[in-house]
Amino acid sequence: MTKKNSENYTKWQKSFERETKVNLSEASSDTDEGIKIKPVYTKADIENLSFVDNDSLPGQLPYTRGPKASMYTNRPWTIRQYAGFSTAEESNDFYKKNLKSGQKGLSVAFDLPTHRGYDSDDDLVMGDVGKAGVAIDTVEDMKILFKDIPLDQMSVSMTMNGAVLPVLSSFVVAGEEQNVNKNLLSGTIQNDILKEFMVRNTYIYPPDPSMKIVADIIEFTSKEMPRFNSISISGYHMQEAGADNVLELAYTLADGMEYVRAALSKGLDIDDFAPRLSFFFAIGTDFFMEIAKLRAARTLWYKIMRDFGAKNEKSMILRTHCQTSGVSLTEKDPYNNIIRTSYEALSAILGGTQSLHTNSFDEAIALPTDESARIARNTQLILQNETGVTNTVDPLAGSYFIESLTDELSKKAWEIIEEIESLGGMTKAVKAGVPKLKIEESATKKQAKVDSGSRVVVGVNKFKNPKEPKVDVRVIDNNRVRDDQIKKINDIKASRDQKAVDESLVKLVTAAKEDSNLLACSIDAIKNRATVGEVSKALEQVYGRHFATSLSVSGVYGKHFEGDEDFMNVAEKVNTFEEENGRRPRVLIVKMGQDGHDRGAKIVATSFADMGFDVDMGPLFQSPRDVAKDAIENDVHAIGVSTLAAGHKTLVPELMKSLKEMDPKSKIVVFVGGVIPEQDYDFLYENNISAIFGPGSNIIESAETVINLISDKIHKDN
Amino acid sequence: MQLVEKIVKGERAAIAKAITLVESSRENDKKESRKLISELLNKPGKSIRVGFSGPPGVGKSTFIESFGRYLVEKNYKLGILAIDPSSQITGGSILGDKTRMIEISKNPNTFIRSTPSRGSLGGISIGTREASIILDAAGYDFIFIETVGVGQSEIMATNLVDIFSLIVGPGSGDELQGIKKGITEYADIFIVNKNDGDLKSEASRTASDYKSAISYYKKSNDTADKEVLLVSAIEQSGMENVIETIQNIVSQNKKNKNFEERRAKQFTYWIEEEVREIIQFNIQRKIKADGSISQFSQKVMDGKIQMFDAIEAITKNLQSK
Repeated sequence: MTKKNSENYTKWQKSFERETKVNLSEASSDTDEGIKIKPVYTKADIENLSFVDNDSLPGQLPYTRGPKASMYTNRPWTIRQYAGFSTAEESNDFYKKNLKSGQKGLSVAFDLPTHRGYDSDDDLVMGDVGKAGVAIDTVEDMKILFKDIPLDQMSVSMTMNGAVLPVLSSFVVAGEEQNVNKNLLSGTIQNDILKEFMVRNTYIYPPDPSMKIVADIIEFTSKEMPRFNSISISGYHMQEAGADNVLELAYTLADGMEYVRAALSKGLDIDDFAPRLSFFFAIGTDFFMEIAKLRAARTLWYKIMRDFGAKNEKSMILRTHCQTSGVSLTEKDPYNNIIRTSYEALSAILGGTQSLHTNSFDEAIALPTDESARIARNTQLILQNETGVTNTVDPLAGSYFIESLTDELSKKAWEIIEEIESLGGMTKAVKAGVPKLKIEESATKKQAKVDSGSRVVVGVNKFKNPKEPKVDVRVIDNNRVRDDQIKKINDIKASRDQKAVDESLVKLVTAAKEDSNLLACSIDAIKNRATVGEVSKALEQVYGRHFATSLSVSGVYGKHFEGDEDFMNVAEKVNTFEEENGRRPRVLIVKMGQDGHDRGAKIVATSFADMGFDVDMGPLFQSPRDVAKDAIENDVHAIGVSTLAAGHKTLVPELMKSLKEMDPKSKIVVFVGGVIPEQDYDFLYENNISAIFGPGSNIIESAETVINLISDKIHKDN
Repeated sequence: MQLVEKIVKGERAAIAKAITLVESSRENDKKESRKLISELLNKPGKSIRVGFSGPPGVGKSTFIESFGRYLVEKNYKLGILAIDPSSQITGGSILGDKTRMIEISKNPNTFIRSTPSRGSLGGISIGTREASIILDAAGYDFIFIETVGVGQSEIMATNLVDIFSLIVGPGSGDELQGIKKGITEYADIFIVNKNDGDLKSEASRTASDYKSAISYYKKSNDTADKEVLLVSAIEQSGMENVIETIQNIVSQNKKNKNFEERRAKQFTYWIEEEVREIIQFNIQRKIKADGSISQFSQKVMDGKIQMFDAIEAITKNLQSK
């Protein structure tokens, strides 16, 4: 620091402390990542950076400033909206409308049965067909999905991880039957199984065979589909599950390293496949942190790939898709979500993303309507056409704050990456459950900050809207979709060459046993009209189906509330309850159907336990009958159903029926939490649900409601 | 009593309510519970009670899922009592056993109950013994009692079961010394889990370590020998050996009357425990009502009386009441 600089700084510090009456050393704000954000940054903060090179330009190593020299000045980012629901016909209509209104690429959302490798006619998926995405059972559905959309011109991104073989095969065959050779197909398949074991839970097979499938796909596409991204290594779902930005960044890159190793083990040359690896990050409301994250991600990936021995420049450049954060959306005062999404989108752009999805404001409640989807798309169109953000590449470069933050994030993430590497890489870490637990801990901390009011969420814990607006949502009639799908499956099964199907499935099983590439065999089976479920089940014979064990954190939530009056009040009620009833209030927290998003369920479980409840955790993917058996055997006072994939209208009434069947005098209180449109509230109350907790519900208040409901029920019956 | 009939008929909700009753800390419930248990003791079933313990992370629940699946496929009825730790700070608990017993928890031939330990020592909880009597009367062939971690106090679990087994992981042979000697001594079966994949050879090595270690424990000829078994919970291998060993030990011990002797001993222990509890409860009530301890202690502090004289005086006084 020069003499002048240091004199200026001393002067500034004096003024600052006089204005704020706070010592500068105590004036930093702590982020979720454990980074101290100072009130002011100076040249001194960027003088000795470890990862960032201040002299580098866009498109130059370490690529902090962007993967390309010209970035948006040449071509703006791709507006790629993730969508899909109901049947292929309805999704196809929706896609075509969007493309006409300025969207550039497609991104397909599949329903949960498809993700988990079940056909729509499987009993296990009753409540889930067509709900959180489009139902695909055979290649015929895939062909309808892309009807009148030329696959040699349209880049298609597919969020698919579990049933990646039959779904990618269907895409290839759909292309072929449109007369498009697979070497012309462009787009991305998510194919990122490691994060499924960490957070999203739409896996099918155990980790090791799942990694083999990932490697098979990288191998096949690197040879046969040169325009297709073989994987989209995703941090998005980690942040959605509650990971802070350092965890998201570190675990995503550590996943990437593991995939590189898996592909190398196939004998591929690193430069043959690495240019087709792509990434996917979440962009939340922490404005500058998110910008720094994208810059840090590129910087670190360059270092990682250089160390792997990549020679081709394209192998070392991280290209990414981004999506604004779904978990930052609130059910309360939902129009605020438009504003949140706009800022998040701006973060992603300033961070230099290659494509972007902006969420619709109603997505905390349901799937977007045509109207809300239009607003979401226009958020990006306005950024591209009205604000001038595309005129300058990496406009924040040189900012003392941004550069220093980029470097600090890189450093912190690098430490965690080294920790994972020391465990033997991500597959081993995932099997040990380490990352999952860390993410849950982070999620619980974040929730506690919101519930205690130390983090403000406008319209939720402060500045509440006295007159909540009513919002119309898209309603999916899943029973109708299921009936349609079952009819289509039956028609195809009746008309296909069964012998050819059987033979191709046998070949697939043999390939799995012999450890040869599975994608080619899977394409043959799909071409013969085998269903997604049949292909998945064939491999299940060899690999088995994976069931995750579940670890839980405890004490993290309660720690934020030491001395908090509301918290102590509930804990006291729990103690009184125990004295009166001879045991603590006992609550079973469950997920039903194929919905694997368990962040909410886990947070509720650990925070209720911290308030003194005895909390039973059910496994994932339970049927209503399983839940009823569990609840009755453990004689719980209440069942809390967590639902985020819209299956509640089918599954909750089934649960109530099963409870009555197994114990006609059952006094169990049933409450529901998660993503539930207000339109469904009456229906649930009619089915004897005692309470509904939407997104953004305060957990302490919810716990109090639950214990009151339990007490009322006990007293009423006595 | 209607509840008894329902239990004997095997009604799930009735069994569950009965277990709640025997676990309850409410005075009224305790009385009811005693009545219930007296009646059930007159209707003994044919259950074999097996205890499972082992250090965290060796896959106890996963083993039980795997072994349990094997048993229910053979049409046995299986009751499982799993004990989870309660937090010492908040008193609450997270009962996650069912997340590791996914398949068997769906099966109609199982009854799986998790119980918070509620600060009780012994890795077992208040009411576990009574709960196993309820499941016995309800006609379950096997009752598994899974306890928290491993500690000296878990020897108490051996007072509840006919066979006590310790589940260990590959490599744990080196720590044999470290494992509480008591448990090793009390265990009838050592199950070395994770005999699969890369760990196979290490698992075999561990098994032989245990075999040589238990050779020191050989007891008189008429008791069944301790056994060391290799299994893989995830590959479901070695399960037939486990059931065979259990059945062998049971039949040998029955032949030599060791089985009945063990149960008789447990019964004596139970009575002693109850008596001790009642006396302790009574004495605590007396101490509270009497209040002379603090008076005497003041006198000791003031130098008016010797401490041990004070203790004698208090004891005499309380005993006479």
